Amino acid sequence: MFFSLQLQPPDGGWTYVVSIILVSLEVSLTAVGLSTLFSLPIALFVGFTDFPGKRIVTAVINTGMGFPSVVVGLVVLMLLSNSGPLGTFDRAFTPQAMIASQFVLATPVIMSVSLSAVESVEQSVRDAAFAMGGTDLDVGIVVIKEARYGIVTAVLAGFGRAISEVGSILIVGGNIVFSDGESYTRTLTTAITVEARQGRYEVGLVLGAILLVLVLGVNWLGSWIRSKGRGERSG
Amino acid sequence: MTLTTDGVSLGYGDEAVLDDVSIGVDSGEVLTVVGPSGTGKTTLLRLLSMFRRPDAGTVAWHDTDVWGLSDEERLAVRRQISMVFQEPSLFNAPVARNVLYGQRVRQSWSERVQRRVRDAVGDRSMTETAHTALETVGLLDKRDRNALSLSGGEAQRVAFARALAVDPEIMLLDEPSSNLDPRNTAVLEEAILRAKARGVGVVVATHDMNQAERISDRIAFVYDGSVVESGPPERIFDDPRDRRTNRFVAGDLLYEVDDESALPTSASESS
Repeated sequence: MFFSLQLQPPDGGWTYVVSIILVSLEVSLTAVGLSTLFSLPIALFVGFTDFPGKRIVTAVINTGMGFPSVVVGLVVLMLLSNSGPLGTFDRAFTPQAMIASQFVLATPVIMSVSLSAVESVEQSVRDAAFAMGGTDLDVGIVVIKEARYGIVTAVLAGFGRAISEVGSILIVGGNIVFSDGESYTRTLTTAITVEARQGRYEVGLVLGAILLVLVLGVNWLGSWIRSKGRGERSG
Repeated sequence: MTLTTDGVSLGYGDEAVLDDVSIGVDSGEVLTVVGPSGTGKTTLLRLLSMFRRPDAGTVAWHDTDVWGLSDEERLAVRRQISMVFQEPSLFNAPVARNVLYGQRVRQSWSERVQRRVRDAVGDRSMTETAHTALETVGLLDKRDRNALSLSGGEAQRVAFARALAVDPEIMLLDEPSSNLDPRNTAVLEEAILRAKARGVGVVVATHDMNQAERISDRIAFVYDGSVVESGPPERIFDDPRDRRTNRFVAGDLLYEVDDESALPTSASESS
C-alpha cells in the first residue's frame, strides 16, 4: 500500500466529519423538498392539460436534466454576487446559495420523472374518478395516488442528483469551514475534493464511503418502492 | 323522464359523431342503446354523464337543462348518475377502497380525514350500501385484494359495484360485458336487473343483441350517430321498421356502402 489506511481524525476531530454530513443533508434535503413543492404542481398541470407549446415545455424540462452543474453554479453565483441582481440579499457563499443551485439542478429531474409518472396514469382512470362524482381536485388526487410510486422515484432521483453534485456548490458555497473545524458550506462532495488535493486520502475515503452509502441507500429505497408498486399490480 | 337528451349533436373537429339524438331513461327501467361499433354509443353515454357539453341540443335532468346550471348544481346532478366503462378502470387500491370511492368524494374534507384516520388504525368497516353493492356482484370475499390483481371479469364486476355503491338514480354502462366470459356476463346482467328492481334507471350501450333482448325494457337502435329506431324489445326484434335495424337484428354486419352487392353473402362466407 502506498499510503496507510490508519484512520486519523482530521484536524477538527470527528465534529468536522459530522458537521459536513449535516450540512450535506440539510442543503440537499431542503433543496429537494422545495423543488418537489415547485415541480409537482407543474408536472400535474403539464400532464393534465393540452396547450400550445406543450411539447416544447416537455423538451425543455427533459433537457434540463443534463444541465452542467458548474454552469448552474456560475449563473447562481452571478445572480447572488454583490454586483448581481440579487446581491442585496448578501447570500453568496452561504448554505442558502447552495440550496438555490441544487434546487435548479434537482428540479428538472423531479419534474421530468414525475411528469412521466403522471402521464402514465390512464385517461380511463381519470374518467372513472370524474364519472364517480369527483371534482377536478378529486381527479387530481386520484392521479397523484396512482402515480405515487413514480413520484417517490422522482424525488429520490432528485435527491441522488443533489447529494452527489459537486461543481455548483463548490462555486456558490465556497467550501468554507469555520476555524473550530465545523463546516459552514463544506459538504461530503466538496470536502472530498479538498482532502484529495491535500493528500489526506483516509478522510477522503471515509467521506466517500459515507456518500456512497447515502446514494446506494436512496437507490435501494427507490427500487424497493418500484418493486412494491409492481407487486401490487400483479398480486 | 329522469335523464334525457333532446336533439343533441356532437362532433370532434369536422367529424360529426352524434346527429340530432333524442333519448330518455326513467327510474326503474333498462334502456339499451344498440348498434354496431363506432356509431356513437360511447359518445352518447359520455354526454349523459356530462364529460362534454353537446354542440347542439340539450341534456336534461328532470326537465332541467344541465348545462344551464351552475358548476355546483351540475356536480350535484352528476352525483345522481354513475358510470361503468368498457374497461374496468379501477384504482390501484384494495377492492373495498375502490367501491367506497364514490361515497368518499361526496364527503366533506373533515369526514375524509376522519375516515383516513380510522383506516390507519385498522377499522375496516364498510358502509351498508358499499357492502350490499359488493355482495350484489358476489365479490365480498375479495374486498381486501388489490383491485389490479383481479381477473378481467372480477374487475368489471367491481367497477359495477363501485358505480352501484353511490346509490345512483341512473347508471350508465358502456359495453360492460364486451370483454367478459358468459359466467361473468350472467352475474353482471343479474346485477343490472337487481339494480333496476331497486328503482335505478339503467342505460346500457351494447352491440350484443342477445344481451339487449335479455335485459331491456326499451331499445334504441343507433346507427351512424343517429337513433334510427326505438321501442320495446318485442317490437324491435319481431317487427323492425328500419331496414338497418332489420339487418342488425338478423345478425348482419353493417357496412357503410351503397352497393349492397359488395357485401359478403352468407353463402360465400361458409364456403
